[in-house]
Amino acid sequence: MSLAPSGARHLLCAAVLLIALATGRAAAAAETMVFAAASLADALTEIGRAYEASSGHHVVFNFGATSDLGRQIRAGAPADVFFSADRAQMDAVEQAGLVRAADRRDVLSNALVVVVPARTPRRIQSPSDIAAFDRLALADPQAVPAGVYARRYLESIGLWARLRDRIVPTLNVRAALSAVESENVPAAVVYRTDAAVSSRVRVAFEVPREAGPPIVYVLAPLAAASPAARLFADELVSARAAAVYRKYGFIVLPPR
Amino acid sequence: MPTREEWAVVLFTLRVAALGTAMILPLGVAAAALLAGRRGPGRTVLDTVFSLPLVLPPTAVGVVLLDTFSRATPLGSALAAAGIQIAFDWKGVVLATAVMSFPLLVRSALTAFEEVDPRLVGLARTLGCGPLQAFFRVTLPLAWRGVLAGTVLAFARALGEFGATVMLAGNIPGRTQTLALAIFHETQLGHDDRARVLAGVTALLAFLALWSAEAVGRARTRRAA
Repeated sequence: MSLAPSGARHLLCAAVLLIALATGRAAAAAETMVFAAASLADALTEIGRAYEASSGHHVVFNFGATSDLGRQIRAGAPADVFFSADRAQMDAVEQAGLVRAADRRDVLSNALVVVVPARTPRRIQSPSDIAAFDRLALADPQAVPAGVYARRYLESIGLWARLRDRIVPTLNVRAALSAVESENVPAAVVYRTDAAVSSRVRVAFEVPREAGPPIVYVLAPLAAASPAARLFADELVSARAAAVYRKYGFIVLPPR
Repeated sequence: MPTREEWAVVLFTLRVAALGTAMILPLGVAAAALLAGRRGPGRTVLDTVFSLPLVLPPTAVGVVLLDTFSRATPLGSALAAAGIQIAFDWKGVVLATAVMSFPLLVRSALTAFEEVDPRLVGLARTLGCGPLQAFFRVTLPLAWRGVLAGTVLAFARALGEFGATVMLAGNIPGRTQTLALAIFHETQLGHDDRARVLAGVTALLAFLALWSAEAVGRARTRRAA
């Protein structure tokens, strides 16, 4: 029975070690958590860094498909500010009582482009040439705004029925871009601003804004957001932020 | 080398795996003790239920957890009213990894308990030990290596959990993003070099965990021989 105390001690050691590992400080709460569409990643990161340097507030971003973010916010995810790539997801969050209608701002617009790998570019003379690709990456056309916009455009020019079996749906628009960057897919429909941040893709065709569906990015602080979070939401609609959006190719909508 | 943010992800992953494992340690030992030495349909049913997370797609477990703990459900809204947010919070990561690694602990502990000579337990009982006393003074001291090996195995499994975690807790950088999620996230963004670094770190951690489980197990067989 000499083993008994030693064995128990070993198990106890393991338990203590586990608890010691586990009881570190959890993520700090005194920061603004921004849930934003994946296409905004570069512009918002730049605005956030500048804001942190000038204000001393800490800003954390969660970039992803707007549809995913909206679902997470409705399930209670700890967001302070929501920057949605379409109206539908912001509507759903508002209907859940998490965002006030008066706090919503239509901030940006964008344009759709067809991108191809920069090393093996293929030309597109007219929209109907899009049907020549054997595979086409889109953010999920059932839910993710970039994919939904792309599907509406392809439907409007009568190509969707021919292309739907060749669609490679991705989690968000940046994943569609990355599928073309890695040359795993010959083409993708992404936002003009996504194409602009990549040197490994080339724009083969830009959808004229009047031909594509209206693209609107909507911003709102959550109803329960702290004053600090609301300050950052204001920063995101400031003239300073507008200059950054324009630099990345977004269309800044006039304030109401 | 990992960046500062990536080290934070490593630390977060270690913490949630440790907390999850610490949570299931008493539960898993109790479950294994309950099953040990029993026969019949009751045991088979419980054994199967405890083992389900091993064979179910982790996403299926994630759906069940999300359905249970989302704010839209009675339990989830009651917890939210009490200020406890599970879904899309670090607590969700702990819960998902704990559920997924539970079977590994139970199975290892069960095997270890059943390797204990029942005559020794019987002897303790005839000497006046109650069933609990016999368990803590005879069974557990003889089976601790198996329990420890199972604990380390469960910890290793928790380090790499992906499917149930992404369903219940999402992939929120700095909040719920573990190593497995970060690897996926980086490849989605085309940052394959970062994904490789993170995969390397994960492989190293998993190696260390498995190696120590193996070392504990080896010592056990040597002693038994």
